[in-house]
Amino acid sequence: MNMVLRELKASSRALIIWSVSMFLCVLTGTIKFTAYTTATSTGPSINELLKTMPTSIKALFGFASFDMATMAGYLALLFIYVELVAAIHAALLGAGIIAKEESDKTTEYLMTKPVSRAAIVTSKLVAALLNVVVINVVTLVSFLVVIPLYSKGNDISGEVLMLTLSMFVVQLIFLSLGAVLAAWMRHPRTSGSVATGVLFTAYFVARITDMSDKLRFLNVISPFKYFDLGRMVAGNGLNTGIVLLSLALVAAFTALTYVFYQKRDLNI
Amino acid sequence: MSVIEIKNLTKNYGKARGIIDVSLTVEQGEIFGFIGPNGAGKSTTIRTLLGLIYPTSGSARIFGKCCTTNPEVREDVGYLPSEVFYYDGMRVIDLLRYSASFYKKDCTKRINELAEIMDLDLKKRIDDLSFGNKKKVGIVQGLIHEPRLIILDEPTAGLDPLMQQRFFELIASENKKGATVFLSSHILREVQKMCERVALIKDGRIIKLEKMSELQGNNFKRIKVEGQSDLDKTIFDMPGVSKLENGGKTASFLYRGDINNIIRKLAQTELSNLSIDEPDLEEIFMHYYSKDG
Amino acid sequence: MNMYLHELKSMRKSTIMWTCSMIAIALVYLSLYPAIFSDGAHFKDMLAGYPASIRAVLGVTLDSVTTLLGFYSMIIAFVVLCGGIQAMNLGMSMLSKETRERTADFLLVKPVSRAAVVTAKILAGLTVFLITDVVYYAGASVIASIVKQSSYSGGLFFMINLTLFFVQLIFFAIGAVVSVFFDRLRSVLPVSLGTVFGCYIIGALVAAGKDDWARFISPFRYFDYSYIIQNSRYETPYLATGAVIVIVSVVTCYFVYARKDIHAVS
Repeated sequence: MNMVLRELKASSRALIIWSVSMFLCVLTGTIKFTAYTTATSTGPSINELLKTMPTSIKALFGFASFDMATMAGYLALLFIYVELVAAIHAALLGAGIIAKEESDKTTEYLMTKPVSRAAIVTSKLVAALLNVVVINVVTLVSFLVVIPLYSKGNDISGEVLMLTLSMFVVQLIFLSLGAVLAAWMRHPRTSGSVATGVLFTAYFVARITDMSDKLRFLNVISPFKYFDLGRMVAGNGLNTGIVLLSLALVAAFTALTYVFYQKRDLNI
Repeated sequence: MSVIEIKNLTKNYGKARGIIDVSLTVEQGEIFGFIGPNGAGKSTTIRTLLGLIYPTSGSARIFGKCCTTNPEVREDVGYLPSEVFYYDGMRVIDLLRYSASFYKKDCTKRINELAEIMDLDLKKRIDDLSFGNKKKVGIVQGLIHEPRLIILDEPTAGLDPLMQQRFFELIASENKKGATVFLSSHILREVQKMCERVALIKDGRIIKLEKMSELQGNNFKRIKVEGQSDLDKTIFDMPGVSKLENGGKTASFLYRGDINNIIRKLAQTELSNLSIDEPDLEEIFMHYYSKDG
Repeated sequence: MNMYLHELKSMRKSTIMWTCSMIAIALVYLSLYPAIFSDGAHFKDMLAGYPASIRAVLGVTLDSVTTLLGFYSMIIAFVVLCGGIQAMNLGMSMLSKETRERTADFLLVKPVSRAAVVTAKILAGLTVFLITDVVYYAGASVIASIVKQSSYSGGLFFMINLTLFFVQLIFFAIGAVVSVFFDRLRSVLPVSLGTVFGCYIIGALVAAGKDDWARFISPFRYFDYSYIIQNSRYETPYLATGAVIVIVSVVTCYFVYARKDIHAVS
């Protein structure tokens, strides 16, 4: 418990900064919605345009099947950025929290205390998990507060809840990915860079894959593509199978984190 | 011109105390000791001298110049920090060559010489070295350009006794060749063995600056007596006696003052043993630190 | 010179990685160009119906979107994002790594002035992203000449690519100046990613359409590609703002670093 508190304290300032950024991201994005909707009234319906637009082009812009004239459709477009921000936070946090003792040269201090390595990993992961939950809740609350101010349409709280739930799973994936990288790599200090490298690759893959059916198989390496945002904003909820598979992935990464950290020759 | 000239140097860290009104000079060819407990301000003084931190007031000069305005004076300075950290992914030789590249000399021969003396494997990666071996890299690194002033901050921490000895021999020979040495330490034995003059620093202030011989000889005697029967405590009740440890038949104390007085006093008792020694620095040190100076 | 070379050496690996990723991005996107070109006619007709604000958000220029340059100016946004992160990382880590990796006691007691240290590091950083940009430019040119459907202006292609260098320069300078104000910067990546990404998202979401003042917030929006393609030059106010940011940052960097206390290892 003392270690969890220590980690929470150490990450508190970063958490505040990330939360504020997240709120601003949601706010500015939602304000922009007004520009979209007012703009649409002057021209032909965006949906009609999208219907005639080649899929490859639509995919390039990342709003393949969203109904852009509604708040929910726009939300799905905005959500790509929101999810990216949350994922970066989770990946950096996961890698940083595991690598911290070695990069701050506090390994000897902590490792000579009467605690097992497993207990150390557990405290760190619990603290990281709490951070991720906070970011997720901040996102959810931001949306729920901001959207009613700008959207006069239907209540879309349900969709927002679904989106942030799916984001939580994505956050968990990147958190555990960062952690396992930090536990596994010889120079843990670089694990943050590698984790974000993986993350950006995943993001680019997500932006590219649905341009062509031939590339769709690549979706499996991009967590950003695990959940169909279009399906969620259409009110169809989460695909339970994929949620379970994702959680299995998180569990595998977490287990490997314990294994690697246990076996690790810590750099002093 | 003095090699080191520190005048009324003060450094504040916000509210925390750094050093206050430190003044000292080190002359050409001297080995100067700088002693004080942890946190007394030794490193702060050295870092200001080297231009790593800026003084709040006062000045610190090397060869008459200030390191911050005339960084080229560091050409003649070798520095060994108390803890050494070097760039990741370099071999020892890479680091030494990089270090040598800062000076207008060819140091290749010197590198090999020093590496041999300090028993250092030049081909190893620095990341893989132990703390003591990193320290050796630090020593070689600080001496490759044959500096005229060598500044050592707790130099022997991490070195085994053999290496400590070699290191001090090395420093002594550099000194014979004309290098001035500024040795900061809390290990008094080192300072006592090496230094001609010492400054004692406590709570950021210099409390004593004296020649080693004077400091040591300076009236202080370490006296141990053993009586034939239990000693009468009142005999030691006289001016000049300090640090008295009295246990039954034996007593041990520091004495400062006219030696005849204490001899006369002791002569009144039946003794079975008596020894009078020069006190080692440690005792003087404790004397200065434990009391208010 | 020795410090400069030392810095270059230490950045070798990461430079290769960044360059390769940037070329890979260009390769992947540009390889889609022939397919998109074939959809060209429809695409162009459709975009005419879009409201201006949307066109601005997407970075699409109506007239030239089916040309290679038009298409390229959309995808270079990703490359510039990548390059911006690289440059900010470089700028931030350059000076701060001496204190972070505790090597300041080694470097700063050498007979060199702080200013000389800053100069060596800035020049090394500049060299690194100049190399990145030149190699990327060469790579992108080759790919472009392979996928092109008709001839395009090499001069404009160069001008578009040059924006990469400008944006990197700005983020590099910002990174450098931010880093000197921290006593001990534990990790660079969150700060640089946050800043660059923040600017990118602001650029994508806020600075759309005609609200010119908002474009000053995000260096990513200093260069409007449709303007460059139409006028064959950059927009002076934004170019000037960029130059001011760079100069002020670099000067501040020298000034603050020269007066900075380098504290002992804790």
